[in-house]
Amino acid sequence: MKKQHIKDMIFRIAPIVGLLILFALFMVFAVIKDINIPYSMKNILNQSVIVIVVATGAIFIYTLGSFDISLGANMCVSALIGAMAYNRTGSVLVMLGACVLCAVLISLVCSVLASVFHLPVFVTTIAMLSLLNAGVLMLIGANGTGDIVQVPADAVSAINTVEFKLLVLCLYLAVCIFVFNFLKLGREEKFVGGNPECARLTGLNNSRLAILAFIMAGIGVGLGSFLTITYAPTLSRNTASSVGMDVIISIVFGGMPVSGGARSKIYSAVVGALSMTLLSQIMLMLNLNSGISQMVKAIIFILVVYISMSDNKKNNLPR
Amino acid sequence: MKKIVEITHMSKRFGSTVALDDVDLEAYEGEIRGLIGENGSGKSTVTSIYAGMQKADAGTMLFEGKEWHPSSMNDALKKGVGMIVQENGTVPGISVAENIYLGEIDSYKKGPFVDLGRLNRDAQKALDDIGAGHINAAQITGMLDFQDRKLIEIAKVMVNDPKVLVVDETTTALSQKGREIIYSIMNKMRDDGKTVIFISHDLDEIMSVCDRLTVLRDGKIIRTFDKEEFEENAIKTSMIGRELQGNYYRDDYEEPAEKETVLKAEHLNLGNQLVDFSFELKKGEILGVGGLSHCGMHTLGKVLFGAMMPQSGTFTVHGKPVTSIHDAMKKQIGYVAKDRDTESLSLDASIKDNIAIAGLDKFSIKNFLILPSKENAYVKKQADALSIKCAGINQYVSALSGGNKQKVAFGKWLGRESEILILDCPTRGVDIGVKQAMYQLMYKMRNEGKSILLISEEMAELIGMSDRILIMKDGELKKELVRSRDLSEADVIQYMI
Amino acid sequence: MKSLKKFLVLLLSVFMVLGLAGCSGKGEESGSKGIDNMKNVKIGVLVADATGAEALAFRSYYENYIQKQYNVTFMYSDELADAAAESSAIDNFIANNCKAIISFASADRPAQIRKCAENKVYYAVATGTLSDDEYAEFKDNEYYVGAIGPDLYTEFQAGYNMAKYYLDQGKTKFAIFGGATPYYVDMHIYRTAGMLVAMCEAGNGDYNGAKDFGSMIGTIYGMNCQLTPAQIGSVELVSYVGGYDFDDAWFGKLAEAANNPNVEVLLAVGSGLDTFAAFKRPDQALGTVDSYTADAVKAMEAGTLNYLAGKFSASIGPIFMATVSAVQGKPIRTANGEALALSQGYWVATSAEEANNYFTVDSSTTDPAYTKAMLDKLYGASYDDFAKFVGAYSYEEIQNLKK
Repeated sequence: MKKQHIKDMIFRIAPIVGLLILFALFMVFAVIKDINIPYSMKNILNQSVIVIVVATGAIFIYTLGSFDISLGANMCVSALIGAMAYNRTGSVLVMLGACVLCAVLISLVCSVLASVFHLPVFVTTIAMLSLLNAGVLMLIGANGTGDIVQVPADAVSAINTVEFKLLVLCLYLAVCIFVFNFLKLGREEKFVGGNPECARLTGLNNSRLAILAFIMAGIGVGLGSFLTITYAPTLSRNTASSVGMDVIISIVFGGMPVSGGARSKIYSAVVGALSMTLLSQIMLMLNLNSGISQMVKAIIFILVVYISMSDNKKNNLPR
Repeated sequence: MKKIVEITHMSKRFGSTVALDDVDLEAYEGEIRGLIGENGSGKSTVTSIYAGMQKADAGTMLFEGKEWHPSSMNDALKKGVGMIVQENGTVPGISVAENIYLGEIDSYKKGPFVDLGRLNRDAQKALDDIGAGHINAAQITGMLDFQDRKLIEIAKVMVNDPKVLVVDETTTALSQKGREIIYSIMNKMRDDGKTVIFISHDLDEIMSVCDRLTVLRDGKIIRTFDKEEFEENAIKTSMIGRELQGNYYRDDYEEPAEKETVLKAEHLNLGNQLVDFSFELKKGEILGVGGLSHCGMHTLGKVLFGAMMPQSGTFTVHGKPVTSIHDAMKKQIGYVAKDRDTESLSLDASIKDNIAIAGLDKFSIKNFLILPSKENAYVKKQADALSIKCAGINQYVSALSGGNKQKVAFGKWLGRESEILILDCPTRGVDIGVKQAMYQLMYKMRNEGKSILLISEEMAELIGMSDRILIMKDGELKKELVRSRDLSEADVIQYMI
Repeated sequence: MKSLKKFLVLLLSVFMVLGLAGCSGKGEESGSKGIDNMKNVKIGVLVADATGAEALAFRSYYENYIQKQYNVTFMYSDELADAAAESSAIDNFIANNCKAIISFASADRPAQIRKCAENKVYYAVATGTLSDDEYAEFKDNEYYVGAIGPDLYTEFQAGYNMAKYYLDQGKTKFAIFGGATPYYVDMHIYRTAGMLVAMCEAGNGDYNGAKDFGSMIGTIYGMNCQLTPAQIGSVELVSYVGGYDFDDAWFGKLAEAANNPNVEVLLAVGSGLDTFAAFKRPDQALGTVDSYTADAVKAMEAGTLNYLAGKFSASIGPIFMATVSAVQGKPIRTANGEALALSQGYWVATSAEEANNYFTVDSSTTDPAYTKAMLDKLYGASYDDFAKFVGAYSYEEIQNLKK
């Protein structure tokens, strides 16, 4: 029993240990390669923060054992709407509101459709992906300024600081941790992920929970799109195109079980996204071309999934 | 008699758990050898090692006097040792014939194609041979029920004409007909001078089927009984290592004190599972529901919990209709499903998660906020009341034995103080010690005025525990029997078939 | 045990990949005079396209020639899809102590320049130019080195010359592939406009009312960059395809345009070999703006392609020298101290032999169009010398410079 307990512990802290190792490696290389370390730290936070925010929200979806392929596209549309709202009103608050509202609305449509038609949610997110991509082109076309939508750079430069981003992140993270661990909703989400049929037979309303999970994720996407505008106020149809994939990889890197369930943790998003960024920075310092760094990431990805799977296998002792 | 199977000094550990501790076991040709023991006693482990499913840590094995090292279950089967496992061992998405000849499809190849005609003919013959001719070999396996899929596994093993057949807990999930098929195969093998190793929880069954009986406890061989030594109490005592205290079933024959109807079903219809089905459940009563596996009784349980909606008819609790599972829970109904691992529990979650989930509204503040202290107290109370054997309430349910898993499933509904409990095969795959505890618990709840609908495939359990028994056949209510000393299994069976 | 083995295998493969990458690195010390004595300079390169033939040719010139000749290290970004990615990549370069950034990416140039200037990192545009407004904003910024490449009028001229080449042969029925025109990409819009203006002149007609440089650009924007076929006097634009959808419908449109029995000439603003070439009939002609690759030479030899206007990969040599000069405190600026804004045009081949000559020079990593000996003269050079050098960009002029 004790051994098993220790093993569980090891698997639980493995992602954090991984993050620390990557950080140590980063520092070693940074010193060897004479890197601007303060700027680099700021840079790492800057690059992780958007993925962390979106991934933290997405944890609610992954906990259910589902996934949302349209996160990136949702972010792009929400950012465009937010930027247009700013250009109409000149208010950053309105922009924030528009971003969050739009993202939540899109998430809501996805999950409600799934509930009405009794489909797995990821099916509707696939359909939504096409719709949103078309929406992006329409929005950009309707805006009539060529292939981009822009917010004046000085309008957001005041809040394009690491401090502000950390504030947004911490607030959202706190809310998510609270909901996940101390509210009925969080418990129910985890239970549905572990065994949806059992959850149903325990009186949980799986579609209602899916809708709530998508709302939580939508808020993350909205905040992410807001932060995207502040970071790079020129939006195009490619805005946030890599976020969807980054979120998936980060969550898995952070030790979140691919199948969701009781072992899901909010901090997976934070640990995973920071690990990913650190890894990219290390590759960059070694001046590896992107092909090689992709390969390294792919191998580590398989490694992580393999380890987390073998953990699960060992828990099912034959009797 | 010639020794066929010989195992000496076998040991096996799973992490820190000792599954087998220096086990010696032998079986002879022309015998049906029973293996019995509580969950975790090692009976499945020793046979699964012999059948090539896993490797031992130490010890030697002989088969027909020669060293025996099967590399896989398939390898063992090809060399003469076949095993029918407890869990489902068929692939759902392919045809019955493909399942039976899985791994041998190459021998049915005609050029790049598979000769489906010949494959299906051979498979159909294999099914006919074991008396399961009602299954169509060309059908997709996933469309069949559990019993027929089990029969396919048996056919798959039997086409290889094994010299040693291991049957692991297979019969608990089967109806009378399925059991008879297995019994006749086992008897034929013995008569042909072959060997059967039969593992079961069911003491009555194992005593009537086997020639000799070996009891395991905590990974050790305790004793082997010859047929003439078979005596229920002696076997039970060696299984649990102490004398059984008190009675197994309840021993009173009084009618329930209260007459109040708590649940009333009228003219329920749902396909061929429920046909114009009406009954009443009284306060402080254990109402047994029995029948063959497909008589509709399991569907009845789901319908009464709001998990399935009847096509017509009504059912009410204290006069009010039940509209959904959520509603059923509000009306204090609890439901322990038949399929424990897939319907009653989330295996990858902790004991705490599983017990707490049904009672969130009971201990959360404003049905919203969860305080860890309140949650722990709530769960601990249930775990202690049921004396669940665990390292702590944060232990994963997957690491528990069958009996303790079932206790967790009970704990979900006890915590809610459910007034009506629908228990679908609550003692399935549970060892004697836990079984007895469950019966005592049910009886205690009955006397506290709670109502229990006990759906069971075990006739002894129905007769031993119920105040009344409803016998179902093809979705219809065939007979209502009232508790009495004179009620025998034969009385019950005649209405089932 | 087994899982440990698998773990080790995977871990080993990570190290192998890293090791392989390590071997390809370089550590050369150089030492002679002037520019050869400088300390290693790290230069970040922003790319929006990491796989196209032209992009690879540019990269090869920097990594396989310049980096071996000078004490510099190029850090390349990933393929940058949007402004946020550009911003991140610049942050990465700054963190890695890059002293300058040369950019091939244009999602948000002003933001790029601002960020570099704030962090005291020199910035140069590799190919193409800034718009007039942008240049006005940044020309006095000491960290903005400048831009050398085809300005938009040169792009217009490239399209004009290509269409005129066929119009002069008496061809009158055309199909145009407009590339990224529907995405409002100026470079492609101007080339298309050039083609249409040439047709207006030859056919003595107009395209939706426009017939010269100024009005044509306005007309195209007025159509939201979605062009349509039209009769232009005696010349006809029979069909038009735009965009880079890469789906079946898009390929279908390309095939339909090329298969139209009336079409004599296929003109592409770019990617002609990847689009029209597959559907072209032997009796049709194909002209494109593209780069000098082995495939392009083969296509010229086979007659699939008759006209090729291409940038030569060494054309990014001068901007590199201007950037290094700035980093070393010897900036090359105009008399008023303004940043460089020099135009450089295309090499045009109309025969297989010409194309082959260009390709041979262009792909050489030992004797490229601009060699070290030629570029050395630009180090800290006067504006006039620099501009003169850049202005003499035709194949023949460069061969003369070499002598």
